[in-house]
Amino acid sequence: MPKVKVNDRVVEVPPGTSAMDAIFHAGYDVPLFCAERHLSPTGSCRMCLVKAGAPRKGPDGEWITDESGEVKIFWFPKLMASCTLAVSDGMVIDTLSDEVRHAQSGMVELTLANHPLDCPTCDKGGACDLQDRAYEYGLDRKFYTRPDGEPVYTRYAFTKRHVDKHHPLSEFIILDRERCIHCKRCVRYFEEIPGDQVLDFIERGVHTFIGTADEGLPSGFSGNITDICPVGALLDRVARFRGRNWEFEQTASVDPSDASGQNIWIDARSGRLERIRTRENPEVNDLWISDAARFGHEWVNEDRLTQPMVRKGGSLEPATWEEALAAMRQGLEGVDKKRVGIVLPGDATIEEGMAAAELSKVLGSDFLDFEGRTGVPASNYPAATFADLLEADYILAVGDPTEELPIAHVWIHKRLRGVKMPPRLNHGTPIADLSIREHTPPDRSLLGAFAPHTTRVMEWAEASGVFEPGHAAAFFAAFEAALAGREPTEVPGVDPVAIKRAAERWQKAEKRVFLIGAEVLGDVQAAQLAERLAKSQGAGVLVMTPAANARGLEAMGVWPTGDRKGPRAVFIAAESAPMKILEGTEFRVFHATHLSPMVARYADVVLPAKTAYEKRGTFLSAENRLLALQPAHVEAGEAEGLVQALHLFGTALGLNPAIRFVRQAQQRFAERYKIDLNRLDAYGTLWRPRVSHAPRPMPMEGNLYLRPSMWKARHRRGPTVQRALGVLELATHPETALAEGLDEGATLEVETPEGPQRVRVVFDAALPKGWFYLPAGVPAGRMPFKALVPRGGEAS
Amino acid sequence: MGFFDDKQEWLAEVFAQYPADRRRSALMPLLRRVQQDEGYVDFERMKEIAELVGTTATEVAGVMSFYSYYQGLPTGKYHIQVCRTLSCKLAGSDELWHTLTERLGILPGEVTEDGRFSLQAVECLGSCHTGPVIQINDEPYVERVTKARLEALLEGLEQDKPLEEVRRTLPDEEKMGKATIELEGEGGAS
Repeated sequence: MPKVKVNDRVVEVPPGTSAMDAIFHAGYDVPLFCAERHLSPTGSCRMCLVKAGAPRKGPDGEWITDESGEVKIFWFPKLMASCTLAVSDGMVIDTLSDEVRHAQSGMVELTLANHPLDCPTCDKGGACDLQDRAYEYGLDRKFYTRPDGEPVYTRYAFTKRHVDKHHPLSEFIILDRERCIHCKRCVRYFEEIPGDQVLDFIERGVHTFIGTADEGLPSGFSGNITDICPVGALLDRVARFRGRNWEFEQTASVDPSDASGQNIWIDARSGRLERIRTRENPEVNDLWISDAARFGHEWVNEDRLTQPMVRKGGSLEPATWEEALAAMRQGLEGVDKKRVGIVLPGDATIEEGMAAAELSKVLGSDFLDFEGRTGVPASNYPAATFADLLEADYILAVGDPTEELPIAHVWIHKRLRGVKMPPRLNHGTPIADLSIREHTPPDRSLLGAFAPHTTRVMEWAEASGVFEPGHAAAFFAAFEAALAGREPTEVPGVDPVAIKRAAERWQKAEKRVFLIGAEVLGDVQAAQLAERLAKSQGAGVLVMTPAANARGLEAMGVWPTGDRKGPRAVFIAAESAPMKILEGTEFRVFHATHLSPMVARYADVVLPAKTAYEKRGTFLSAENRLLALQPAHVEAGEAEGLVQALHLFGTALGLNPAIRFVRQAQQRFAERYKIDLNRLDAYGTLWRPRVSHAPRPMPMEGNLYLRPSMWKARHRRGPTVQRALGVLELATHPETALAEGLDEGATLEVETPEGPQRVRVVFDAALPKGWFYLPAGVPAGRMPFKALVPRGGEAS
Repeated sequence: MGFFDDKQEWLAEVFAQYPADRRRSALMPLLRRVQQDEGYVDFERMKEIAELVGTTATEVAGVMSFYSYYQGLPTGKYHIQVCRTLSCKLAGSDELWHTLTERLGILPGEVTEDGRFSLQAVECLGSCHTGPVIQINDEPYVERVTKARLEALLEGLEQDKPLEEVRRTLPDEEKMGKATIELEGEGGAS
């Protein structure tokens, strides 16, 4: 490995490391604005200038020496941008000399020349790279003394450049073009990470600005540019003007909206959740989180339930916990304990799952379920990690990774661009990784994408196809046939050539990774075919479950068993529940964060709940990785965690449940599995529980297909998210729409599991005929299409 | 109908010059073709090119706006490009620009009513020793543009004389550089 001398320290770094990383690895600092972890280095800000030199070998193969016999260092004639300079053996780097410091302070001066001095009203203030560097290089240095003896800190005597200051790029992001220092991080981000070049430099020279010619920013992963912007040019509109950076209480936690296990910082101020930022985890989400994870938190602060409620004479009345306990005792009196059901939310933690499973066991009940449960358990499949995706020779996605497991979208794109897992240096991920290149076209031969609707990853897939919903099993049967060298059996909507192509690539590949979504998991036959395929072919599987902690809950034994006779009394902590349970039970206790229409209608007792942002606990993500949640400081009155609520419910049933606190569940977990949930590895601990549950199919009927979406129902309650998403799109084949008498662009109301929803009709000829597609906010497969206003609607 | 619909052979030729997975490289030739044939590249054409080379309209706009050669709006018969970079600025291009905009009554992006002239400020044309310099369409430069020479140039073009002839018969510059342009106000290039 090349040995590099940085100032007075000699370090060894892997070949191909940038001089910048060698400097940080050696424990020194160099200022930078444009380089960023996980992005290609471009050397556009020129801030990281250093003096560098290297020895040379003579024709005899020996190092050239100077007169004194020392190895001679040939210095580069000019200072070099260290982010784009690769180290070589024997290289000498100087970051401390006056020459270097002077050049760097010159760069800070140039960068500041046109930068507005609005730090006091800038959201980035206190967390701004430019502010830090200006402080470091500017303040103590007086540039010249006026004739009257006063020191002057700037030499820039002219009017600053004035351009567009509050330019909304989308509902989520606002751009201040005066603050922009043209580091190009956001441009590179969009091209390299989600794979949409929707931002670019427009014009040139001093007129250059960041802009887009497309229709706004695509939502999905756009929010990450607010994190990587080194100044306050790109800001999060949801969190704008909500607090200064030093006022936020920052909590390191995990996003509860999907099974990716995205690491986040929760920023709360005065008891309100104000902002969510990404937290680097190079094994899970790098620096990136989905927009739903970042912007979908507005619901947490609004209209929270802060005290228990009890139904008195038909209406729910606020009550104390004692009254709630009494009401539960009364309601549950004489109920057969075997017929008491529990429904957990999909983002219940492992600890809560354990508490529920213990209680259910004591009750002797066989009805223990969770929201977003799939027909076949996710635990049946050998889990792949995201890192496996980077090493895969073939990736087959059956479902919609972008919406179902958003971070998988990022990893798939990384794989297709040939990005490797970065090495770990003393300072962590390399800041300027020279192996990452701009504008690498995705290698389409590595991906096959099939789904019951068009997906975003399909544009990168060499083999792709849209099959009719309900035909996932047919797809797997055809794929198996193609693997066996037979002609693939027919799959409605899919070109057999695509299946053959995918099978061919699959066979040639050594390492294969499979992604399967809710459509496959909901169909027992398809899920079993997929399982057989994965196991016989030695492929890792990323199961894109609708529930954030499906694998964790399954491992704790949260799974319905026994006969299908419904429960008589039920404890529901989920946001949605099957009609059969809501209508068929006699007594219903809800543990809820909000008084939703469902709660208001069906609850006999409501206990105020904490959101996943306020919990301590653990998730088992889609890659079988244990990740710790920490509670953020959000004010929610008397809200209690699920473990406490379950304990109270157990008490009302006359039991004394063993688990009363999260700690107790963690102790039990440590005894049982020898893992201390309080001491997980920094990037999460991989844990493969042995679980076996019998398939439990979910009802899947109707021609309204509820397409998975990263935006869950609760996210959509936030006003910004509502504005950004607009009216939901009901996508359908033109012929199907005409048969129903629907025009393109017509708006109408349709019945959905979330209640009636206003939708707008869009045509998509690539979709199978006879189906209507609607992005779903709650995990649900499909239901009969039912329009609630006169057919045709009004043209919008 | 798209601009390239009936130019499939030409397209194939252009794309054949680049590796199959680097269709983006054909962005410039395609832009150039539209600019040459239509005089400007409108948003529909940008989207068409983006589709053809497999990128986004944003990237096409980014590339296009980098080069002053590409126009986003229709131009006049004579598209006057005034060099505004340092040497020409010192030689009086600010005053020249003033005179031009007042004489023609247009700003960049506009075309005179008779459809004859449009105006654009461009970066260095590379003839710093003969500033201020203007270029009309793709023709050779008009150099040392004094007020008198400018007037003669515009008059000639308004009479639809061939550009080459007008250019050759311009009055000799009285003197070089800034002194020949009347300074307007105190903020001039003194």
